[in-house]
Amino acid sequence: MIKTWELDLNFRNEILNEPGGAHLSACFQCSTCTIGCPIAEIVPSYNPRKIIQMSLLGMREEVLSNPDLWICAICQTCTARCPQDVRISDLLAAIRRIAEKDAEAGKLKIDSVRPLFEKAFLHQLEKYGRLFDMGLAMEFYKGKEGGSFIKGQLAMMKDFKDFGMRMFKKGKMGPKAMFPEKVKKTEEIKKIFEKVEGK
Amino acid sequence: MSEKKLAYHPGCPSATTAIEQDMSTKAVFEKLGIELAEMEDWNCCGAAEAEDPILVYALNARNLAIAEKDGLDIVTPCSICYYNLARTDKALREDEGLRAKMSEIDDSLNYKGTIKARHILDVLVNGIGMDELSGKIEKKVNVKVAPYYGCYIGRPGETAFDDPDDPDLMDKLIELIGGENVQFSSMKTKCCGGPLMMTREDIAFEMARKVLESAKNAGADCIALACPLCGMMLDAKQPDMEKKLKITIEMPVVYITQLLGLALGIDSNKLGFNKNIVSTKEILGKVI
Repeated sequence: MIKTWELDLNFRNEILNEPGGAHLSACFQCSTCTIGCPIAEIVPSYNPRKIIQMSLLGMREEVLSNPDLWICAICQTCTARCPQDVRISDLLAAIRRIAEKDAEAGKLKIDSVRPLFEKAFLHQLEKYGRLFDMGLAMEFYKGKEGGSFIKGQLAMMKDFKDFGMRMFKKGKMGPKAMFPEKVKKTEEIKKIFEKVEGK
Repeated sequence: MSEKKLAYHPGCPSATTAIEQDMSTKAVFEKLGIELAEMEDWNCCGAAEAEDPILVYALNARNLAIAEKDGLDIVTPCSICYYNLARTDKALREDEGLRAKMSEIDDSLNYKGTIKARHILDVLVNGIGMDELSGKIEKKVNVKVAPYYGCYIGRPGETAFDDPDDPDLMDKLIELIGGENVQFSSMKTKCCGGPLMMTREDIAFEMARKVLESAKNAGADCIALACPLCGMMLDAKQPDMEKKLKITIEMPVVYITQLLGLALGIDSNKLGFNKNIVSTKEILGKVI
């Protein structure tokens, strides 16, 4: 049962105002997004149609705390097929950002490690202007292990020992992979992050 | 194709995990007489991890502006780089306010919308074209191939350059080089799971397994790809998948530029065939 008295009628506006969330209200619940979704094939509970409906109804808490928010592969199958031009991949990303803001404000606990991964990725990008795989993995694993650098490195080595050796043997993880490749004008990249992310 | 020079955006994995894609792309274009001039100081496109569209636009406005200064179209071997570059180009062309917003962030993001961003597959088949390519084929690559397109080639519609449900640009190249396309239509555009590799390995492995096993069941000698993240997932992670799921796949995974390069008579080492994780020896034995 939906507790109508607990609905947050402003939730749809919150999403609509977030970049990427603009097409939310065009959804007429046809389920095309969910029927063709490769994640829904594997995870039976996964239902983007339902997440959109709950968002439109104002079920803010239920939507933001739904663990399925974090398993979209952004493959764009739903977006490509939506007859109403709802950009579902972008929309779910907008909802994830709202959840992350709530989490940062201490109002929500997110179990998924995806926000940690994305933050670590963007952090590399902000510092170097390009992706530094090794730096990303080190920062991500540190975050996953509660901020402990040592524990993070041990967990990373355990997960990536075989993979690392395999890549090393093929010359894909040689000296070039150990150090970040940087853009020359890092100040231009810093400016982008400062202005867009308000840093 | 009229352009004899393109701005090359190699993408972040080009020097490491997808080095064979970078090597084969450069070798193929060199052979075709088109200069790939690596973009001066290019930056990461934000991949799938930059989820704020404004951040994606800003990062890629910088790349587009760099190539625009030289008056060159951008070509990239990576499907995600392509998507981010192309959607930024489109958004900035259509929205003056957004262009102003970019310029406000920094002068380096001042993009006027006079060039295009293209994927190598698009440039090869639609730009250079099958006629010109067919005149340069030196060898027959007699392999059975599962052409795998993944996500950003046929969708979303705003940036797609091939059919969303049954794309065929790679199929055409495989026919051209004397190969055979196996029955693979239902899996061609299914996501490989790459974006979930680090955060939900269980789901990612299941997605990749479906692609790999479908190719195997269809009798393919190899899978052909056009995206370095697909390469990471389907090739580099394949042994991890086999171990975790207790299965044997052993499906060679190569980039379409590697196969095309063989047909153009380029040496296999120059095409990076010794860099693929799953052994490609059998493929090389089928070049006549």
